[in-house]
Parts: sequence; structure tokens; C-alpha cells
Amino acid sequence: MDTAQPHAGVHIENVSKSFGPDGARTLVLNHVSLSIKMGEFVSVIGPSGCGKSTLLKAVAGLLPVDSGTVMVDGMTVAAATKNKMIGLVPQSPALLPWRTVLDNVRLPMTVNPKANANRNLRDPQEILESFGLGAALDKYPGQLSGGMQQRVAIARAFVFDPSVLLMDEPFSALDEMNRDQQRLGLLDFWQSNRKAVMFVTHSVPEAIMLSDRIVVMGAHPGHIAEIIDVPLPRPRTIDVYATDEFRDLEGHVRSTLREVMGQKSA
Amino acid sequence: MRKSQKTNLDRSTSDTSALAVQNASSATGRRFSPLATAKLKQNLSWSTWAPAVITFVIAAALWQVTAIANPYVIPTIDQVWLSLINDADTYWKNMLVTGLEVLVGASSGIIAGFILAIIMAEFQIMERAIMPLVVVVMVTPIVAIAPALVVAFGFGMTPKFIVTALVVFFPMLVNSLAGLRDVDDRTLDVMKTLHASRWEIFRDLRFTGSMPYVFAGLRIALPLAIVGAAVAEFVAAGQQAGLGSLVTIAAAQANLPVTWASIALLCLMGVILISMLALVRKRVLWWSDGAAVGR
Repeated sequence: MDTAQPHAGVHIENVSKSFGPDGARTLVLNHVSLSIKMGEFVSVIGPSGCGKSTLLKAVAGLLPVDSGTVMVDGMTVAAATKNKMIGLVPQSPALLPWRTVLDNVRLPMTVNPKANANRNLRDPQEILESFGLGAALDKYPGQLSGGMQQRVAIARAFVFDPSVLLMDEPFSALDEMNRDQQRLGLLDFWQSNRKAVMFVTHSVPEAIMLSDRIVVMGAHPGHIAEIIDVPLPRPRTIDVYATDEFRDLEGHVRSTLREVMGQKSA
Repeated sequence: MRKSQKTNLDRSTSDTSALAVQNASSATGRRFSPLATAKLKQNLSWSTWAPAVITFVIAAALWQVTAIANPYVIPTIDQVWLSLINDADTYWKNMLVTGLEVLVGASSGIIAGFILAIIMAEFQIMERAIMPLVVVVMVTPIVAIAPALVVAFGFGMTPKFIVTALVVFFPMLVNSLAGLRDVDDRTLDVMKTLHASRWEIFRDLRFTGSMPYVFAGLRIALPLAIVGAAVAEFVAAGQQAGLGSLVTIAAAQANLPVTWASIALLCLMGVILISMLALVRKRVLWWSDGAAVGR
């Protein structure tokens, strides 16, 4: 895709969304605006009920918004999904248990094949090998660990060369050691395949480690409280955790989160 | 019923302890894994099969004692056995007739039930339109419908096929419909962001995903198919008898050994069907056992 395009990336403008029956509607997103540039990694963090998953679903085209616009590479979300420009990594790996790892990663190629024209489709086998799953190609998801399954799900989202990657707490079901490994693996891969990434997470260190910017959201109704730049140099390694900059950022994000939570109880 | 409980159980284990289960299953291969061998060993071990065998032996002994004490109520096991040996030819012929009824009736009921489930799953308006009628037909006692069908179609095989198909149809429809609807939401989300067509979602996700429910339906439907065939034969013996007719005729003549030999063969047919189903299920649904589902 053309990175010089002025509209490249995700543009969320003034989006509002509420749920519930008429008369008793709860506002979940209140005039949210956010832009994610091509090749930018943006994390969205916030307390439960701040609407971060709703926002992600709106960008994925899985939920219609009440007002405002969501554009992907200058197209409406509907047109973007039609062109297979959005890669989704859900909270659980959501793999087909009856298909091998390789066939699971092939799925996005065989679905909606009209949109395959003029794009840089990756070789599923190659991408799995670069994810360290070369030995697991012919295994079934049930034979893999949770971390490996999630890597397969990420490979599935990258393989058809989408412009935008949406990840909804993909590592939340993993244990802490595994999570670190998966984060670094994702970072490594993204480094050479720069997509616009929107990454929803609960973890402050995870957000700092991965992102260019961190969007802190508050709840009741969901809104963007602050957007924090993460100027840590790339490529990042595990050593980043021990730097002063990291600790300062962590303090900053945590105090913003505290403010956001305090607002709620006040 | 039994199956739906099992599915819930599968899901809850894969939800709560997904990691532990996945780690455990990642160590095991698909076939001939150490775990499978261990399981086989366990199946062959005394403590696995002995309790059931002991129950059967006790039941048979009680039967035999009761039969000897009440010769006009039930026959002894050896009388039944002798009847089976002496008239093996007759029993075999009648078993083939009933078997054919089950085969034709059950397969058409299964196919019709599954196809209608697909239509209802894809077009909700079809469910609203057809389901009430299906329910009305299904709550009508099959024993009452059977004689009416004989009037309409005569004493040949047709009414037997129809009755058998009817009893199979409902559990297949209901289970398949539930299976086609109960797909993993997150996998569905992934398909939707790819702009998958309804056909692609059916082909790649719903069809295979519905199989655990379909097999649960088959487990209910196949024994019912034998019930359907037997009931149809009760009301319309016809020139080609079948085991059900044999039961009614022999019972009318108070011929206890023949009555019970026929019942035993009907029972045997059910056991064979269920065992075959279990074998097929193991081959088709290996991915849904042991919480290997990627939920």
C-alpha cells in the first residue's frame, strides 16, 4: 500500500455509540476522535467499561456507530472490509480446531478471494516460520500451547497484507512469561511489516513496550482522557523495561489511569 | 440431552483452564499418542469393564430365576437362545427387512433434517414459517400417525420408511440447527472483517462446527429409528414382516421365546447402530474431544 497517501491509516472522528433499548440507552463512546497513521502502533488502555473494545469493533466494522465517521485508508469501514484491509486478532485465538495450523493461516486467502488482486499476499508457510512455528505447520490448534495458538492467530491476521491490524487484548489469556515472549515476537515482526496497529490492552507495561502512542480512555461514558507519546527508540528489546524513561512513562500512564478511575468514583 | 451437557462441560473446561488443558494436549499427538495408549490400556483393564459385566451377569441370573418361577410371563434365556438358533433363517430375513426400513427411513430423515436446519439457520424467516408446523407434527403421537399412513400408502414398505424418517427428523433438525447457530463468535468476527460471504462462513465455519451437535442428534435419532420401524410394523405387518411384526404375531400367540428373541434382535440392532456411530464420531470429531477446541 502507498504510505504517502494522505488518508492512509485509521481516522476516527467524533464517534458516538450507545447500547440498550430506547429511553434507557447507555452511552458507551462519547465523541471519540483518534487517528492512527500508517505504520504507527497505538495502544488503547483504560478501565473496564471505557469502551475500548467497542471502539475496536467499530473500526473492524463489526458494530455500526450512532454518529461520527470511521475511515480506513480514506475508505469507509464497509469498503475497507470488502477490500480485506483489516486484520483482526481477537481476544482468544479463534482458530478452526479441525484445520491444521497452515490451513488456518491460509483461511484469509480463500475467503473473499475477489479482494486478493493487487496485493502483496504473503506465503503462509514463510510467515509461520518467521513466527517460530515452522515445526507446527501440520499440527492442529489443540496440540499447541496458548501462546503458540495466539501467534498463529497473529500470523493469520498478517498473511493477507491488510493495511490495519486490530488486536483486542491478544495476550490477556497468557501467563506473564509467555506474554513477554509474545510481545517481543510481535514487535519483531511488526518492525519489518509496519502496519497501522490498534492494540487494546489492560497492561500498562505492554502498552509502553509496544506503542508509539498510548490512548488512555475513561469510562461513563467512554472518552479519550489523554494521548501519551512513547518516545522510546526502536527496535526495542527486553532491556527497555529497566530504563528510566520506561519507568517515567509507566508512572505517567498509571497516574493518568488513576485520575480517570477517580473521576468515575467522584 | 446427554450431549448438550457434555458440550457445556467441554466449553467450561476450555474456558477456565484453557492453558492447562492446551499444555496437556500439546504434549499428545493426534493418534497413537502416549495418552491414547494409556487410555486403551485403561479400557482393557479389569476395573473398566468388570463392573458392567457383573451387572449384566446379575441381571441375567435374576431373569433366569424369574423365568423359571413364572414360565408363562417370560421365557428362560436358553429358550430364547434355542429359538434364535433353530429359526436363524426366519430371524435373519426379518432383521434384514427391519434393517432396510431403518436404513432408508433414517437416512432420509437425517438428510432432510440437516438440510432444513441449514435453511432455517441461514434464513430466520424460514424458521418462523416452518418451525410451528414441524412442532405440531412432532407432538402428534407417531403411534397414531402410523395407521393413517397405512391407509394412505398400503402395507408395503413406504409407510414404514415414512414413520422411521419422521421420528428421526425432529432430533436431527433441532440439534443441527443449534449446532449451525452455535459457532464461536470471535471466529465469526474474524470472518466478518474479511467480508466473508454467507456461503464462505457456512463452508469454512458453520458446517464442520455444527458436527458435535449433529452427532449428538444422531445418538438420539438412531435408536429412535428402530422404534419408528418397529411401531410401523406393529400396525401394518404386510407381506414383508420385520422384527416388529414378529413381536406382535408371536405375542398374540403367547409364543414367549419368539417374542423375546425378536426383542433381543431389535436391541442388538440398536447396539450395533450406536457402536458404529461412536466409531464414525471418533474419526470425524477427533478435534472436538479433549477440549482441543480453540475457544
